[in-house]
Amino acid sequence: MFIEEWDAFYQQAEALFLADPLKTRLVLKYAHSKAKLTLKVTDDRTVLQYRTDQLSDLRKVEQLNNRFFHLTANGAEAADEEMPQAEPATTQSPSRAQPSSSQKSKKARRTKG
Amino acid sequence: MVELDPDRFLNELGKLFDTRKALGPVRITMKRSNMKPRKSRFPQTDAEYKCLIRATAGNKKISTAVSASQHKRFQSSYDTILKAQLDALKKREKTKSKSGKK
Repeated sequence: MFIEEWDAFYQQAEALFLADPLKTRLVLKYAHSKAKLTLKVTDDRTVLQYRTDQLSDLRKVEQLNNRFFHLTANGAEAADEEMPQAEPATTQSPSRAQPSSSQKSKKARRTKG
Repeated sequence: MVELDPDRFLNELGKLFDTRKALGPVRITMKRSNMKPRKSRFPQTDAEYKCLIRATAGNKKISTAVSASQHKRFQSSYDTILKAQLDALKKREKTKSKSGKK
């Protein structure tokens, strides 16, 4: 199923992942010769796809990548659910979101010129 | 399938993109795993989760597993690679915003 709207895609992709984190995968497909980028998120029951040929969408792709990295590393509890026991790896838990996002926007601004 | 450590993987990924430019698509899959055999897949709070990443292009396949402690570093390098490699995409459609001159 192709979704045209990025925001709808992002939200549904995240919801799909949170519903079953161990089964959901994110596939990025890039064809240089065709200049096409396709993102697919699936749990083998539902398939969500987003297709683009715009360079500006790369930032959105990064955003989704980061979200997935974050979720895969820290688990669903980082999003909204709470697990009784904290994972040992979460050392810098309180200030996770801010540095990366500010860094990203800084980087994005730099590449613009 | 070649399993590499994350740094090697990023290295190889860049090469993979380079070699496949004229040939065909590159696919990168990301997946969460608790690194446990499939049979024992029940919620385990003490499980260590990793992000499995695999890239395929033609018949060449490489993969890696990124743990929670590594993922920040990996992520920024990965973003850099994507930015460098996905350069065939169109710059914004400049329809009305006459920004043609430099």
